[in-house]
Amino acid sequence: MLNVSHLTKKYNRFIANDNLSFIVNDGEIAVLAGPNGAGKSTAIKCIAGLLRFEGEIEINGFNNKSVEAKQILGYIPEIPAPFELLTVWEHMEFIARAYRLADGWKERAEKLIKRMELDDKRNKLGKGLSKGMQQKISICCALLIEPKTVLFDEPFVGLDPHAIKELKAMLLEMREQGISIIISTHMLDSVEEFWDKVFIMMNGKIEAERTRSYVEKNGENLEELFFSITEKKESKT
Amino acid sequence: MDSIVYMLRKTVKNAIIDTIRHPLRLILYSLLIISMIYALVVSFMPGGAPDSSFDERILSGAYQALLYFISIPILLKGLSTGTSFFGMSDVNNIFTAPISDKKILVYGVGRQLASMLLLVVTFGSYGGMAMKMFDITLSNAVLLIGGIMLMLVLVQIITLLIFCISSGHPGRAGFLKILIFAMPVSALGILAVHMFSKGMTLENLYSGITQGVLDYIPITGWMHGLVFGIIKGNTMNVIVFSLLLAVLVLIGIIVFSNARLDYYEDVIGRAESYYEWRDSMRSGKVRDSDWMGDKPIDIKKSGIKKGKGASSIFFKHLREGSRRSRFMFFNISSVVLICVALITGLVIQTAVSSIPSTVTYIAAVIICVYIQFFFSAAGDWVKELSKPYIFLIPDSAVKKLIMAGATSIIKPYIDGIVAFGILGIVCGGNIIDIITAMITYGSFGSVYISANILAQRIVGMDGNRGVFITFYMSFIVLLMIPGIIGGLYAVSVLGQFTYIAATIIGIPVIIWNIFISFMIFLMCKNLLNNIE
Repeated sequence: MLNVSHLTKKYNRFIANDNLSFIVNDGEIAVLAGPNGAGKSTAIKCIAGLLRFEGEIEINGFNNKSVEAKQILGYIPEIPAPFELLTVWEHMEFIARAYRLADGWKERAEKLIKRMELDDKRNKLGKGLSKGMQQKISICCALLIEPKTVLFDEPFVGLDPHAIKELKAMLLEMREQGISIIISTHMLDSVEEFWDKVFIMMNGKIEAERTRSYVEKNGENLEELFFSITEKKESKT
Repeated sequence: MDSIVYMLRKTVKNAIIDTIRHPLRLILYSLLIISMIYALVVSFMPGGAPDSSFDERILSGAYQALLYFISIPILLKGLSTGTSFFGMSDVNNIFTAPISDKKILVYGVGRQLASMLLLVVTFGSYGGMAMKMFDITLSNAVLLIGGIMLMLVLVQIITLLIFCISSGHPGRAGFLKILIFAMPVSALGILAVHMFSKGMTLENLYSGITQGVLDYIPITGWMHGLVFGIIKGNTMNVIVFSLLLAVLVLIGIIVFSNARLDYYEDVIGRAESYYEWRDSMRSGKVRDSDWMGDKPIDIKKSGIKKGKGASSIFFKHLREGSRRSRFMFFNISSVVLICVALITGLVIQTAVSSIPSTVTYIAAVIICVYIQFFFSAAGDWVKELSKPYIFLIPDSAVKKLIMAGATSIIKPYIDGIVAFGILGIVCGGNIIDIITAMITYGSFGSVYISANILAQRIVGMDGNRGVFITFYMSFIVLLMIPGIIGGLYAVSVLGQFTYIAATIIGIPVIIWNIFISFMIFLMCKNLLNNIE
């Protein structure tokens, strides 16, 4: 479970995240939606423990900066950053060693690189891979550790249709396994099949929060809600 | 062309406005400019001439070396299909605009030339220094600087020529690469033959670097021949080398104006990777040597093999290091270090025959530590900070920091062992001094890393690079001073052991360097708490 409480992130006087509070339960897929510059990626980076922030963030009850939290947190950055001089398979080995993964990681790694269609690239160096393939490595590295919480920052950008299909299938499997998932995106249609909860962000704040059941029950249209919030705010500013 | 002029005008204007809006940057730039002008004025001011000036042949040799140092990298860049001529914004906007290919190429080369103006200003201050050290006239000093400026322009024209000839022809590019490398190699070869045939003395080194035959090596030799021909009043040399250079420029212009240029495809791929590299360099997150371009990498040996938790970072660096260089820790910086140590040792022992060997080692360590600064700005650990993994790995922050810095800590010790080991074999001396010199040099590597960590901690990962460098250099000085004072105090107290002064000074320096480095690693563990 991911528990974000009063998260505020400031860059000098600019407030990138303003008092965000939300919970993503086990087996739930939450979406952080919003236009460019809404503060989605900043929030994801704060949750991943990469940025300084005010407030509290807990991952399965552990402070997000603790070793225990890091052990169960998977993070897929918006811009993939593989090691230029490691092969695809060595990325897997490095993560397995760094996270002290138990025996059995090799089989999982094999499955992951096969699903991401990287099996014929296993001996290719990170620097020789396209942006899309680098993104696939990021996904494999994050999922290899069998995380309990996974953060995806614009995960579908740069992926080919097969990888998008496979990633969507993986997301559903992870939800079945009780993993808390948070996806940051500004493309609502890319997540419309599987989202459970959505937080619509604007100017660093969560302007609306909806669950799928609420939207379905009240006949709301998520896209219309999104535009009613973001376009209204934009016209004001 | 109007659009290019407009863009350049706006770029300069916006850069100035941006600087004005960032007061700290403005102060730093102002200080830099003031210090440069001050150095320039002071160095050219009359008076303060030394009692005895250096041999003018040193100036001739150094000038020649400088010309090679300036020209060879630029010529090689020209070969790599305009790698540095164009940025990604040029590729995306100018290449697609209805502007002539040739105008675009001239713009690229012109921009490259402008970026070297700072280099000329820097050399300007050396002109004044040359006046004082070598007792030359002001007009000759100006001539020397003028020669460098002319060389920069000339090299750009030749770069265009090379680019026109080699673009899209890998075979020609390979041949031209050999020709470019042949220039300094033949100069060194001529010098080596001279030294071996006449004997390894300082006098023969001086006569070797001033051989007339060196002036016939194309471009750099011609320029040297022209400048020193004017200085020495050798009219024949002035005519010959002016003509040779003029013919070369003429050929360049003719080839360029007749060339059918189709270089966009060559440039695009390179520009993309160069853009990424430059972006990383700007944020100080990658080493120059890490940008390996298209260099083929042997991946026969694969796997990280060892390590758990934080230590896996160290073993990953070993694997990456083995791919950067076949000899892992031994690279170009090691070769430079060996050369510097050897030259220092030989020059000192030749110049002052009665000097104790311990003094040679003290001098060699000082100069090598100074050289180390240029190689240690960013190690593997700095590169690691540009990726999220080190922050995410579930292990202690101190362990991660030490393991990430381990290869950078080890390398100076290996360099020190090799360089001072060779110096010991060539120059002899006390074995304790040699071992101390090795360890002292290595320990300064840790100080450089600590200063870097400290500067990263204060300025932050995304801080201004100018501010970062200022802090980094200040920390280096501050961290080194106590050890050096300790060493000098030890040698003053233990006066009877001056025959091993290098060891007496070295031991307190080593102890301090290791202690303060370890303390900084401990204190800066929070560096890995966030990526900012």
